[in-house]
Amino acid sequence: MHPAIQGLLTIAFGVGGCVGYFYLSNIILDTLIFPARGKDIARNIRRANMVRPWLFLLPALLALGLYLAYPVVETMRLSLTERLPGGGSEFVGLANYKQMLAEAKFWEALQNNFLWLLVVPAASTAFGLLAAQLTDRLAWGNIAKSLIFMPMAISFVGAAVIWKLVYDARPPGTEQIGILNAVYIWLGGIEPQQWLTIPFWNNFFLMMVLVWIQTGFAMVILSAALRGIPEETVEAAIVDGAGPFQIFFRIKVPQIIGTIVVVWTTITIVVLKVFDIVFAMTNGQWQTQVLANYMYDKLFVARDWGVGSASAMMIMLLVLPILVWNVYNARREMR
Amino acid sequence: MKHTLMTAAAVAALVAGSASGQDLIFPVGEGAFNWESYSALEKTDLAGEQVTVFGPWLGPDQELVENVLAYFAAATGADVRYAGSDSFEQQIVVDAEAGSAPNIAVFPQPGLVSDMAERGFIAPLGEETAAWVKENYAAGQSWVDLGTFPGPDGADGLYGLFFKVDLKSLVWFNPENFEDFGYDVPTSMEDLKTLTDQMVADGNTPWCIGLGSGGATGWPATDWVEDMMLRTQEPAVYDQWVANEIAFDDPRVVEAIEEFGYFARNDKYVSGGAGAVASTDFRDSPKGLFASPPQCMMHRQASFIPAFFPEGTEMGLDADFFYFPAYEGKKLGNPVLGAGTIWSITNDSTGARALMDFLQSPIAHEVWMAQQGFLTPLKTVNTDLYATDTLKKMGEILLSADTFRFDASDLMPGGVGAGSFWTGMVDYAGGKPAAEVASEIQSSWDALK
Amino acid sequence: MNAIAGQKPGLIWALRISVILLVGLWMFPTVGLFVSSFRTGDQIATSGWWKALFPTEQNLTLRTAAPDTQVQEADLFVIEGNLFEEATDAKISAWGTNAREIDAYGPGDTAELRGGERLTVAADGSYRLQSAQEMSGGRGPRVFVSALVPPEFTLQNYETILISGGSTDNLARAFFNTLTVTIPATIIPILIAAFAAYALAWMEFPGRALLIATIVGLLVVPLQLALIPLLKFHNEIGIGKGYLGVWMAHTGFGLPLAIYLLRNYMIGIPRDIIENARVDGATDFQIFTRIILPLSFPALASFAIFQFLWTWNDLLVAMVFLIDATGETTVMTKQIVELLGTRGGNWEILATSAFVSIAVPLAVFFAMQKYLVRGLLAGSVK
Repeated sequence: MHPAIQGLLTIAFGVGGCVGYFYLSNIILDTLIFPARGKDIARNIRRANMVRPWLFLLPALLALGLYLAYPVVETMRLSLTERLPGGGSEFVGLANYKQMLAEAKFWEALQNNFLWLLVVPAASTAFGLLAAQLTDRLAWGNIAKSLIFMPMAISFVGAAVIWKLVYDARPPGTEQIGILNAVYIWLGGIEPQQWLTIPFWNNFFLMMVLVWIQTGFAMVILSAALRGIPEETVEAAIVDGAGPFQIFFRIKVPQIIGTIVVVWTTITIVVLKVFDIVFAMTNGQWQTQVLANYMYDKLFVARDWGVGSASAMMIMLLVLPILVWNVYNARREMR
Repeated sequence: MKHTLMTAAAVAALVAGSASGQDLIFPVGEGAFNWESYSALEKTDLAGEQVTVFGPWLGPDQELVENVLAYFAAATGADVRYAGSDSFEQQIVVDAEAGSAPNIAVFPQPGLVSDMAERGFIAPLGEETAAWVKENYAAGQSWVDLGTFPGPDGADGLYGLFFKVDLKSLVWFNPENFEDFGYDVPTSMEDLKTLTDQMVADGNTPWCIGLGSGGATGWPATDWVEDMMLRTQEPAVYDQWVANEIAFDDPRVVEAIEEFGYFARNDKYVSGGAGAVASTDFRDSPKGLFASPPQCMMHRQASFIPAFFPEGTEMGLDADFFYFPAYEGKKLGNPVLGAGTIWSITNDSTGARALMDFLQSPIAHEVWMAQQGFLTPLKTVNTDLYATDTLKKMGEILLSADTFRFDASDLMPGGVGAGSFWTGMVDYAGGKPAAEVASEIQSSWDALK
Repeated sequence: MNAIAGQKPGLIWALRISVILLVGLWMFPTVGLFVSSFRTGDQIATSGWWKALFPTEQNLTLRTAAPDTQVQEADLFVIEGNLFEEATDAKISAWGTNAREIDAYGPGDTAELRGGERLTVAADGSYRLQSAQEMSGGRGPRVFVSALVPPEFTLQNYETILISGGSTDNLARAFFNTLTVTIPATIIPILIAAFAAYALAWMEFPGRALLIATIVGLLVVPLQLALIPLLKFHNEIGIGKGYLGVWMAHTGFGLPLAIYLLRNYMIGIPRDIIENARVDGATDFQIFTRIILPLSFPALASFAIFQFLWTWNDLLVAMVFLIDATGETTVMTKQIVELLGTRGGNWEILATSAFVSIAVPLAVFFAMQKYLVRGLLAGSVK
């Protein structure tokens, strides 16, 4: 069968199947199992309402369980075992973790990851908020937004190509084709710099790529939130004589703080998984290793699944604060 | 090391036509090919059977290998599918672990074959093939040894057949530039060092060295170190080094690293200065030979590098190579460093077995030889079929070697040979002391045990 | 939306200028790539793309015609012609015949070559090579020229990527394969996630907070881990590698973000609307389809865009779950990575292929934008 036809059929079956499932299961629940009539009407409605959330959740839970939760459990198991030649594996306790903690590269990755966590979400959100606010009232604001959002449409591999051109260095004396070195020389720099090989600072040159990509995301979401702010609050502030900066920081930002946190969290998660950019631009050399790339190295280059899985668990550990904070938030909403 | 396999690729002329799997580029029965081995193959009937081959070659190289496989398809009626990937090493592991491996996998690194054989993902080729290799390949026993690994039960077996060899000990140069400055091709390492200084005295930059290769950055330096190892130590020491029987931070290894540093860490010797070595892409670095004014005079790289020369470069006229010479004073002969791809059965079938038999017939070698970028240790081929004089000359270097050794980083465990050795060399090129780098690589090796 | 009346004109100008600066900064790297994709490899390597519109000083290595074109004039053997193969406005400022000194002569000067031949080169590249003896050899001598070359743009790179026939270069099949992967992989997770997000936002049941936390936790599961266990699973249930598998995988991997974003949006919908509907006797299913879905349109549209971009730009998932050993189900990103691998040093090919790969996502973004904005306005009901 031609893939295009197969694709159309899948869309039809997939979408039809989903809609059908949700629709029919609700009908069955409401009319056959717990009919909302007769003498048990109150009890039936209550029971139906207890079951319904699970009907809504079932497909999502199945997919999540299979595609994400199961691999997590499997990873945890792998991180505690060592594979034996010829198949099979043995339980080794925390040996993989011990080995990982003894590696200098791991600590370098961890340190860099913290640096990424500090810089990228903050910078992306700040730039995104700035862009959202500035473009909000311009007639051509949407065009400006589209252009800032554009990097979001570029794959990480494509972005790596773009930024390699920016950071490119040619031998001294020849003309520079990387804009950064051209500007550097123009400003009076003597030798062109190999930006990606300068320890510590090269991390920032890599982060710049992700900030460049993620700012568009932050901007789109925050711009929607800014438009949701009731006009009256802003107008009241103007009447009170507040300047534009006061309006922005005192009136607008507090009202969208929830959205800011969501954007921040989302970008934080992207940062924790950042892999393609580092992989394509430096592969963790010149002290730019990050955890996701370290894990990839261990899994597919060194083929040491034990340590690879252990480093994956490490990434999970880092996300734990976000997780706890979200549980706390969810609880508060319940009340 | 996958990049070493992106062999000579300037085959636009060959590729231009429609290279669909079934067109044979050399008509059967014409030319000095060994057509008997082709006719012998026609006795095998595999009509309707699909044989999948997965390897590291892409682009022009993919056309070359497909042209070879087309003869197998035409003779047996099998449906042969070749697919290539730039991340072959990662994907074959995933596919094999998950049970969806292709029939035949073409490995650029014996180290990976060893891993996978141990886990039981590869079918052994058997005694018969081992005997054939031993008898028909030049230095046959060494090719058998390189393809022999312990299987899942711990017993040794031949798990792969070497088909297509690359030569690494080559220095590329622009003959017209040598002529303009009156340089001669050096025949010993001492001469090469004198020539290097002479070039600096003339105001030239002798070398272009680039270690950049995306995720694999650093590998070109490992080739340098291996070549230097063979030029400063006995082959036996090289073998011990590969097996980690002598430590990576042994003074003899450190000396070889510093020999590489003699060239790469001297600002006057390398184009762009020592700081540019680690970050210059290996595919860009040979272009300095052809720049105006020339950015460098020499470039040490394997036989596949002409694929990255500027378009229209004529081999033998615009670019040529000489053997990376050995020290006259050390009496170690003329050692040659090489690498090769190893073909293994990852999903056994009659078709896969038949394809392995095909690779043992001269016609499979000859069809690729007559195209581009293929060297073979098979003694029964007609060497007149080599497509260019350049290839023939390389073939002669291969045959006249006193010592042939396989790329060490390809033989080391992946975590070292495709990991800490690469990154360590980048650190070394960046200015870290050789001894420190070597002991770090050794400790990463210890961690794997 | 001119909300703030009475703003100072100076401030408005400052605002406009800062937006232009910001946009410029964000556009700059991409524009560089775009311009580069229309230049030849030599141009990219010798001058910055921002100078593409101006003539550049280039050092070129050219050759005279081969000796077999020589003509005899009296007792001299002569080769005449132009060093530039194609007509060009380039002006030669200096030239040389030896790599030792590539700018030894000016236009109109005559140089003596090693073999005794005499060469004269004019500023426009026309030359005359004469010798007392018959010249031999396969090629003419090298001439190094420093010339001011006018700007030149070419579509050659796009032709190489899109049209030339090699199996690695042809993007047409990969294009349709990618579409086949992307569309179902975008629609299905949205549908599933919307129902789940509604349940998590507006339905009361025990364990809700725990479920939300779990989903946030799953957001961070690194993909690389899931690959082998799941491919094994696909092989066991008989799907193997193929479209069905890649659709399922993308659905699974996209769900946490979809649920997370949609739930956060839905929870912002005013409680009154839902309470009123409940009082009026609407079932949850009706509330969901008639109220929540339309109100959540902006969030659905945003997620659709993100999921589309993610699946379009994905390489890892496609390589593991889709592309098999027959190589017939390859996708765009894979083709481009192959190009990178085989033509890694060539900026012009890199630039062009990167641009081809982002064309569709950009088109989708600009097309969806209208709906996005309309949806955002509808969302301001609250």
